[in-house]
Amino acid sequence: MIEIFSDPITRAPVIGSMLMCLASSLIGVVVFIRRRSLLGEALSHAAYPGVVFSVILASVFFPFSEEIFSVSILVGAFLSSLVGLFVIDWMERRLRVKSDAALCFVLSIFFGVGVLVASRIQITHALWYQKIQIFLYGQTATMTDVHILIYGTLAVLMIGCLALLFRLIEVVHFDREFSEAIGIRARLVDGCVFFLLILAIVIGIRSVGVVLMSGMLIAPAVAARQWSHRLSGIFVIAGALALLSGFGGNFLSLNIPLWFNPSRSKQFLALPTGPMILLTAVALCLFSLLFAPQGVLIRGMRVIRFTFRCRMENILKTFWRHREESLSFSQIAHAHKMPAFVLYVLLMNMRFQGVIKKEGNLFSLTQEGDGEGAKIIRLHRLWELYLVKDMGQGIDKVHRTAEEMEHFFTPELERELTTLLGDPKRDPHEREIPERREK
Amino acid sequence: MNPYSGKSFIGFISVFFHRLSQWVQGDLPLTSLASDEIQMLVLVIMSVATSLIGVFLVLRRMTMLANSLSHTVLLGIIVTYLIFSSFMSVQGTDFLRIDVLLIAAMVTGLLTTVLTQMMTQFFRLQEDASIGLVFTTLFALGVVLLTLFTRNAHIGTEVILGNVDALHMNDLKMIFWVALLDLLVIGAFFKEFQITAFDSSFANAMGISTNKFNYLLMVLTAATAIGAFRAVGVLLVLAFLVVPPLTARLLTHRLRPLICIAVALAIACSFCGVALSRHFLTVYHIPLSTGGLVVVLLAISFLLALTVNRARARTRVL
Repeated sequence: MIEIFSDPITRAPVIGSMLMCLASSLIGVVVFIRRRSLLGEALSHAAYPGVVFSVILASVFFPFSEEIFSVSILVGAFLSSLVGLFVIDWMERRLRVKSDAALCFVLSIFFGVGVLVASRIQITHALWYQKIQIFLYGQTATMTDVHILIYGTLAVLMIGCLALLFRLIEVVHFDREFSEAIGIRARLVDGCVFFLLILAIVIGIRSVGVVLMSGMLIAPAVAARQWSHRLSGIFVIAGALALLSGFGGNFLSLNIPLWFNPSRSKQFLALPTGPMILLTAVALCLFSLLFAPQGVLIRGMRVIRFTFRCRMENILKTFWRHREESLSFSQIAHAHKMPAFVLYVLLMNMRFQGVIKKEGNLFSLTQEGDGEGAKIIRLHRLWELYLVKDMGQGIDKVHRTAEEMEHFFTPELERELTTLLGDPKRDPHEREIPERREK
Repeated sequence: MNPYSGKSFIGFISVFFHRLSQWVQGDLPLTSLASDEIQMLVLVIMSVATSLIGVFLVLRRMTMLANSLSHTVLLGIIVTYLIFSSFMSVQGTDFLRIDVLLIAAMVTGLLTTVLTQMMTQFFRLQEDASIGLVFTTLFALGVVLLTLFTRNAHIGTEVILGNVDALHMNDLKMIFWVALLDLLVIGAFFKEFQITAFDSSFANAMGISTNKFNYLLMVLTAATAIGAFRAVGVLLVLAFLVVPPLTARLLTHRLRPLICIAVALAIACSFCGVALSRHFLTVYHIPLSTGGLVVVLLAISFLLALTVNRARARTRVL
């Protein structure tokens, strides 16, 4: 794993694509929280004609200089992407074209122009054409130390700009009107963000290509959003994940073919690096979406646990209402609409907690369960009384909200309510409110 | 022998109409279509289909989803190819028959839309972020599969950019069926599409499920994109979908004229594109990508419509 950094062949591609991923992920966070994620998609395609023109121009005027060639592609891509941005902005403002249509318009027209010009040299200058096609899917294998130098400088520049702009971006994003009121020129900040976005795209298309660029902007930002609420936290995590996916993509594209045929390692086929980088980033993103603290699984678990608790408390109430007698399974099932299996699990759990006991085929409350049941009934009736007495609700309407509120009450709330109502003994339906029991 | 070789733009048109009149009189059998005519017919029929669908995509603000689909059909095409080539011995793209294509379109259309919806609802992502994630992922998978099984990256660029010169009779048949399908479906549910396009909550109140029609539109888009990919590639088809409706939108506000203008414009641009491509080859000896040429023509028509629109706005102000 370490030798991938020291090997002179793989070093430049790996470091180059890691820097590129870092740059795109950082600006991707800003674009993501501004809800303009697909802007990157349009702008990366809009960079394509710039690439085509500058490959042609650089090959004509500076055929032997690798440095000028790389830089001129960056400049060309930057300029045409910038033009694309202005066209999108103009269409949205002046023509009132919907945002998505304007993006698609610029994307497809610019790309079409690129295809047309590239086809002009397809047969006459096949070598140039190949250099252009690299930018479709990206190609890291042909990167050299020159690329590291250029991308490193640009990436550092971007990180510096973002660090300087961090406060401004934060303020403008969270409260635009406030930021304008305290004298921040929000349009200017936007302009800087778009400038950096185009810069990141221009750096990125060399490694992952124009088609997949937008994914590299989005995936790390989405992943990082699952781990942190703070903007600074999101930036740091997104950057780390991006570095990881830049490395992982290169590593996997070299190693997956080896896993499948370890013997024929001489003539193996490396998987395309750009797509592999993106797939790594997406895999990290999916992992975060599922397993992060704010991810789906944890949230889902909380929901399920809460539903289970509500149901157990409801069953407990049934027991408490019939606390002189023992109930059979079918009697409980009759009172509660849920699958028999779920009910069985819940009853097992309640026995485990020691609130009910089983004698023969019959269930009944334990001493502790009696107290727990009384507590819930008390909360229910207190809330009903509160609604009727203090909120002036009709007696017939309060039962349903109380059915829900009883599960949310904390002991503090109960104490407050008791003092507020003057420790009442009867609820609005003239039923007894069980005594408060201290533990 | 191609009757169009060595013809300029004007010459192309005169030869075309000459041959058209011959065909009308029954002197020219359909099987003797020249390659230029096949290209032109494919592009023209395709642009009818795309601009028809595109109108509703633009009105429903679903163009980004269409963009996403135009990328993901790559995966659909490859997976279908892999499945069918393992069952039958087929060569190249001959497997793209209409029934196979429809299955691929259904699968990719539904898969993309469902995945995107799942990302927004299940993972609570913004819609554009989930679109961006889903299509780049599926496209990357497609590219990886393509390199793995063909061991050749060249086919990749052809799928992306298309190749009009490689079209033959089968492609013409297929795009014809796709266009017919689009026409029939849109024609049959015109009222529903119209209502969902303009007022989705009213449509829901009327008992028309916008969701169902979204899916239908997505499947049609996928079918059209697959039908078009041999000619213009999966990326440029987006221009055929989006630009004609946007251009027509500058000229009219009513739905039926909008559709008519969009379709007419797309047909004109496709026709001129093929003729111009031949013109450049004859006069300047430059082979140009016909697809790219048509897109540029579409862009020029947009600019023209824009000047008309501005001029009208100015007279209205005065």
